[in-house]
Amino acid sequence: MVMKRNLSIALLLTAVIWLNGCEQKSVVQPSGKTIKIGIIAPFTGADRAKGNEGLKGIKTGMQLTPYLQNGDTLELVVEDDRGDPEQSLKALKKLAEADKVSAVLTLSGSEPVLAMASIADDYKTPILALVATHPNITRNNQFVSQFSFDNDFQGAVAALYVRDELLIDRVAVFMNPDSTYSSHLGDEFSSKFESIGGQIADTIFLSRDADDYEGMLKRVRTKNPELLYLPIEAGNVIRIIKDAGKMGWAPQIMGSDGLLSVVLIKHKDKSRLLDGLLATDLYAYEAPLTSYGEKATPEIKGKPTTYAALGVEGYALLVDAMNRCNPSADRSCINNMIRSTVDFEGIMGKISIGPNGKAARPLFINAIHGGKMKYIVKVY
Amino acid sequence: MTDHVSSALYVYTKETEPLIKRLLANSFGATITPVAIDDLVQNPQERLVGTSHVVVSGTLDVIKQILQLAVEYGFSVGIVPGETQKDLIKSYRLPRNFNAALDLALRRDAQVMDLILCNEKVLLFKGALGRVPLIDAPGDVSRFALLVPALKKFFGLKLLSFDFTTAGGQKIRTAASGCMILQRHVGSLASRLISHDSSFTDEMVSLVIAAPRSVVDYLKFLAWTLFNRSAAHKQLPGAIGYIKSPRIHITSEIDHDVFIDGVRATHTPLTCRTLPGAVRINIGPDFKEENKRVRPAGEKIDIDHLPRGKELLKARKKQKIPFFSYASEARFRDLFAALREDARINMSYMVLMVLSTMLATVGLYLNSASVVIGAMLLAPLMAPIVSLAMGLLRTDVNLSKNSAIKIMGGILIALGAAAVITLMFPHKPITQEMQARLNPTLLDLAVAITAGVAGAYTKSFKEILQSLAGVAIAVALVPPLAVAGIGIGRWDFHFFNQAFLLFSTNLVGIILASAFTFRMLGYSAAVRGKRGIGVAALFLALITIPLYLSYDRIVEKRAIEREWKNERFLVNGKYLIIQKARLSRRGDKEVIFVDILARDQLTRADLTVFKQKIQRNFTRKLVIRARTIYIP
Repeated sequence: MVMKRNLSIALLLTAVIWLNGCEQKSVVQPSGKTIKIGIIAPFTGADRAKGNEGLKGIKTGMQLTPYLQNGDTLELVVEDDRGDPEQSLKALKKLAEADKVSAVLTLSGSEPVLAMASIADDYKTPILALVATHPNITRNNQFVSQFSFDNDFQGAVAALYVRDELLIDRVAVFMNPDSTYSSHLGDEFSSKFESIGGQIADTIFLSRDADDYEGMLKRVRTKNPELLYLPIEAGNVIRIIKDAGKMGWAPQIMGSDGLLSVVLIKHKDKSRLLDGLLATDLYAYEAPLTSYGEKATPEIKGKPTTYAALGVEGYALLVDAMNRCNPSADRSCINNMIRSTVDFEGIMGKISIGPNGKAARPLFINAIHGGKMKYIVKVY
Repeated sequence: MTDHVSSALYVYTKETEPLIKRLLANSFGATITPVAIDDLVQNPQERLVGTSHVVVSGTLDVIKQILQLAVEYGFSVGIVPGETQKDLIKSYRLPRNFNAALDLALRRDAQVMDLILCNEKVLLFKGALGRVPLIDAPGDVSRFALLVPALKKFFGLKLLSFDFTTAGGQKIRTAASGCMILQRHVGSLASRLISHDSSFTDEMVSLVIAAPRSVVDYLKFLAWTLFNRSAAHKQLPGAIGYIKSPRIHITSEIDHDVFIDGVRATHTPLTCRTLPGAVRINIGPDFKEENKRVRPAGEKIDIDHLPRGKELLKARKKQKIPFFSYASEARFRDLFAALREDARINMSYMVLMVLSTMLATVGLYLNSASVVIGAMLLAPLMAPIVSLAMGLLRTDVNLSKNSAIKIMGGILIALGAAAVITLMFPHKPITQEMQARLNPTLLDLAVAITAGVAGAYTKSFKEILQSLAGVAIAVALVPPLAVAGIGIGRWDFHFFNQAFLLFSTNLVGIILASAFTFRMLGYSAAVRGKRGIGVAALFLALITIPLYLSYDRIVEKRAIEREWKNERFLVNGKYLIIQKARLSRRGDKEVIFVDILARDQLTRADLTVFKQKIQRNFTRKLVIRARTIYIP
């Protein structure tokens, strides 16, 4: 009887110790020191959804990791560039010189980041571009790193998917000549598609103030494309789909990164109209999450969007780089650490950033079905 | 001669006194002499001598007093019922309307009827003692109204020991929750149960005994009651006994109050006897037709469903009725004889085992599902397994031992035969039919359990025995044994292990499921040990662990294979589409077999990058086996 009781007590103690062991986490004691991180993003203007969603993600990341491992507190200094390259430059100058931030996270698009890239080395402040996908943002500078895949990868994958999986021969490409992002991605897609035996039936340059959509579509339709590749803004994509619908034409359409997120945030009422719309993206709602993804995504308020997820991940990667530096606020060290990130566990896969500042990360191809984003393939 | 009496005494109470005027003014030409019940009881001689007919209106007590006097003085009785006396109206089919009731009460053609006395108290409709759930429920309520109180009464239901002695000297000792004595009572379930066999003039006392031996028994009875309410039934449901005798003496281990016609009137010991043709009562004409004087039959005793012998001991020991029923072997003699026969090892069993294993082994090597199914049908293993289940349930050592020996013998024969055949075969391919038996999971256990239930069920009912073949196919006992034997022949422990795990799963699953089914069906022994079932349950628990792990692995494998179909790789500018993926475990390594669709010729360098990308992006350590299909 006594032996039985002793055994029970021993088992209970073992269980308690084991459970304690499981629960025990290294508790970070605040050091009292604060490190500033600059945020440059469009919080007003046409691209405000990117900025607001991205900041939401960054704040979620901060909530999950408020301190560095050495106890230093992180503080955000937020600047609105309205998506305007000039404003981006001013914001960078202020953050680097006046606020003395240790690093900058930017949610701005390719053009503002290209502008910042031209002077990034002057401030010697690491800039992690979360959204911009233009391949040139990392060219000719040492301090801008790209967190997303670039348009070379994105354009090539889109072309290969269309050709090899959708088995499509003829594509018409719409691009915005005023946007370096759009025109570069459109070109990249076209050249890859042609290199693998596809035919670009027509290329439409859709300027920001263009309004004769019907005329353009009539012209394109005569060339019999099987798919329209649209690396343009969500509003224009919706307009093209609507006007094509009025003409009784429903070609397969493919867009680029962030399109489906913007559609689901800003044009939710039209998401049914966009049924079947394909797009390359950084995330997919239904794809398997990593263990970090399983921890982080429930913390994001509302439905997680591409920009919110980029915010969470980008912040986490920056913290990881800072943790590897001593002192952790050392800009140069942070930059080096960002550019030597290997197999960082993101939300849906591993992310590596090489010494050239380019990220290697999976790309998703998603589609809208029944008003929801559905995941089709993941490309490594 | 008129249809009505020329004169009658009208016995009234204070409540029915106002009816005197109406009776005096009756239009049937009868001269009415009113008399108060109290006056009559004080001086019956004076009032009743020379009286040939009495009309009474009052409570049941008053009517019973009049009936007792009728026995003594020989007058006939007419009853004018009150509106609230529903039992009286229903049982004697009396009119509700006063004039019609008076018309009937004054008629001269009274029906000769028996009178039942219980401990010398007159019983008009029913007497009850103990708890008689359901059978005393009124027949004219909705199913829901019947169900709710029935479920309430079920709590605390307990069987008590009763002794019944009939006029013919039959002594019956049983256990029951309660019983009802009936005198052609109309409306309750009990009265319907015996309506085909009951009459006012049969010179018998009818006793219905309620003895639900288990919760399951009670629920079955409840279901029977709910769905068989409209008609009379000649066959008694389980949990009910019936005794019919001119006199029944009832004693019980504890004294019970006896309620006669809804009033606590006496207590046990109770003697109920019938006074044949003791009274003449004016009853409704249709009822008179139904109760024409019948020739008294002999005593009737239908107590097959009541606990006896060891069952009685068990019933008395329990504080409450158990969940499942139990039975002595005598109750199901044929079934137990068949099970004992199934448990006996004989030459035909051994020959069939050898033949079925040979057939299964050859079928497995041929990868022929139809030959393997033939072997399943030929295999005689199911019968001793079902016998073992019963043996364990009833802690029947002989039955268990014989069955276990027969099963063990069968297993050894099968393993040996399959191993020998494998050793004789020069070529030993691993076919899909074999592979299908190397990954047992919880789903196989589910199949075994379902088949075990079906096996025990079919064994319990002769009329569906032919379904046992289907059960044999479903559970497929011999093929896994043959695969295990092939494993021995191949000297491959993993092969043997996995196939034998599948056989063990089937074996344990069937034993437990069959035992449970037998228990549900009420074949549990009255006095029962739990060790046998405990051991089988322990085996089941142990076997569940590898099965769960195996099932988990299969679910994970399927998820991985599904995910992999969505994976694409851009390798040195070449787009690789994963068309198909199959994950396989080889020892401690996981191998992924992938079919890659590619447009461009892949070089060694491309495949190296492809491999690196997989190793970097996937946490599982996978051995990659790729097959490239080029897109034209």
